[in-house]
Amino acid sequence: MSGLQELADRLAQGVSLELADAPAIVGTPDLIAVGMLADEVRRQLHGVRTTFVRVLEVHVEAIPAALPPGANAGELRLVGPPSSATQALEAVASARKLSGGGIPLSGFSLADLAALEPSSSDLFASLAREGLEAVADLPVDGPGDTGATVTRARAAGLRVERMTVHGAAADPLATVAAAIELQRAVGGFRTFAPLPRTLSTMAPTTGYDDVKAVVLARLLTRDIPSVQVDWPLYGPKLAQVALTVGADDVDGVAAVDSGTLGARRSALAEITRNIRAAGLEPVERNGRHEVIGEPSRSGRP
Amino acid sequence: MSYQATVTKVARGGRVDAAEALDLYLHAPTAVLGRLADEIRALRHPERVVTYIIDRNVNYTNVCVARCNFCAFYRPVGSGEGYVLGFDEIFRKIDETIELGGEQLLLQGGHNPDLPLDWYEDLFRGVKTRFPSFRLHALSPPEILHLSRLSGLSVPQVIERLVNVGLDSVPGGGAEILVDRVRRLLNCYGKASADEWLDVMRHAHRAGLRTTATMMYGTVETPAERIEHMLRLRALQDETGGFTAFITWSYQPEHTELGGGEATGIDYLRTLALARTVLDNFDNLQASWVTQGGKVGQLSLAFGANDMGSVMIEENVVRAAGASYCMDENEIVRNIENAGFTAMRRNMHYEILGEPVFRQRQVPRMLALAAARAEGDTSRPPEIDRYAARSAAEKARRGPPRPA
Repeated sequence: MSGLQELADRLAQGVSLELADAPAIVGTPDLIAVGMLADEVRRQLHGVRTTFVRVLEVHVEAIPAALPPGANAGELRLVGPPSSATQALEAVASARKLSGGGIPLSGFSLADLAALEPSSSDLFASLAREGLEAVADLPVDGPGDTGATVTRARAAGLRVERMTVHGAAADPLATVAAAIELQRAVGGFRTFAPLPRTLSTMAPTTGYDDVKAVVLARLLTRDIPSVQVDWPLYGPKLAQVALTVGADDVDGVAAVDSGTLGARRSALAEITRNIRAAGLEPVERNGRHEVIGEPSRSGRP
Repeated sequence: MSYQATVTKVARGGRVDAAEALDLYLHAPTAVLGRLADEIRALRHPERVVTYIIDRNVNYTNVCVARCNFCAFYRPVGSGEGYVLGFDEIFRKIDETIELGGEQLLLQGGHNPDLPLDWYEDLFRGVKTRFPSFRLHALSPPEILHLSRLSGLSVPQVIERLVNVGLDSVPGGGAEILVDRVRRLLNCYGKASADEWLDVMRHAHRAGLRTTATMMYGTVETPAERIEHMLRLRALQDETGGFTAFITWSYQPEHTELGGGEATGIDYLRTLALARTVLDNFDNLQASWVTQGGKVGQLSLAFGANDMGSVMIEENVVRAAGASYCMDENEIVRNIENAGFTAMRRNMHYEILGEPVFRQRQVPRMLALAAARAEGDTSRPPEIDRYAARSAAEKARRGPPRPA
């Protein structure tokens, strides 16, 4: 506990924590204590404000001709690795038509795009011309010189603002170290989503693992404004807990309601209810991080 | 910030009253509630052992006349989807349970009017004849009350009959919220009022049986009513000392008549932590991973729980309402150890049985909980016709009585 108390004292004095402090956070069984530390930093940065974005995901190989009925998206996101540069460009063009130009369009993992064309400045520029606004994510546990790739993508006009973790077996210390280094080297990232996007069936990350990964991210990456959690991937219960231990932004809220559960259980009602039940205040944003609205208590924007 | 005085009082060993508990629940930050509960857990279980049991949840019938509006499991009398498990099916489930290292069935079911007391007696006797050391943790208070009403015997007489044929302990199901206003709204007052539920447990304890206590929250109750529920359990525990553990879970709304939403994960952790604080005479609190999932189930260990519940093997009731989580013994142990505790197997009395079975011998991994029956199995157990039918639907199904 003395190690954690020392960390708490330093945070209270406004001193940022460093990677060298990480073992004390990862090693403690006192989950509540480290959660409180991260929550304190989160509140210093954001207060109780908790942003979320409704995302309509369309697979790169199956882009529909029209938006689903009732779709209400703050971001249209192309998912899945493109098989070629041509497919990536065609997918962006189709998605742009689908969005009607009104919904911010993101797509792809930077690692997947870089794999198509190792020196991909031309591809990045072409994607931007077709209407892609942002690369959806940059896996910090991916291969290659990611800093240089980020710089090329940005120079071509694409926003690259969100760092993610892809591997199921990713070491949280290594991934947070990579995020720190990328922000130091190239800067400009506004979101870090520290929980792995692939889950092991036989040995998924535990609740303690997830909480500590969020805590680490919030405590050690203070110059990355937001720590993000994925609503459908991690489920409402764990995602809600994450909001109380350092996360302040929720990704992947459904843009289309199934319609079978009624208005009280719509995606918007569920996310706002969960955020408020955690003692926080929901703010809906779009893919450009522009505030769309602050939902009323009735759950309607 | 009056909750702080209550936190101090509890930390010094004081007992909270209803007003203090409500103040804690409504106003204490989640981390404060969790820390308080964790300190209580650490005092009660300083050895940092978290226990679990290998048993199987078997629901012998889904036919039920209670018609609770929060239940997605039951089928009315005469329904084509109704089932009764045969004795041989149950014996086979016990064989499978023993194979996985289990030593007990948690046996509960609907209030089926066509299963008289002697059906239960024959089943229990058959289990104990074939598996003498196997334990029967069976029949929640409303089921015992149902048998009392069907048979015309008193609750103590029913319990005595069941104990004589092998009942070992009583699960705490059917408690929901022990406040009659809530029970009327949930249409479960008829199956057992709050007083009746508690009275069955009182008689079970007097008969020497240990039981668990439960709470299903998140339907129509107020926070004050959750606390009233806890205080009624605490009072009975003061009187008898018969409860081994408390288990709380959130209402699962899918496919139920009542509908609505599910309480959140934070609400679960707050409710669990509050229970650890209020129920100062309960030794053990279980984590409900089957309703909360493995992740929040594990987080329960930081909010007052000292037990990961059951490997379960089979589950039908909350699955019918939309929850379908699974944790086999490997996964339960991995979660316990990942949280910094030592994992130990226990029995219903919370006696330590030993280290994990899978570390002693090879046990097949389990990625999904079994169901009562295979999809589409509408078979009818052969022995059922030996027992007197009571419902018109069952009498019609059997046809006119054959001449002697």
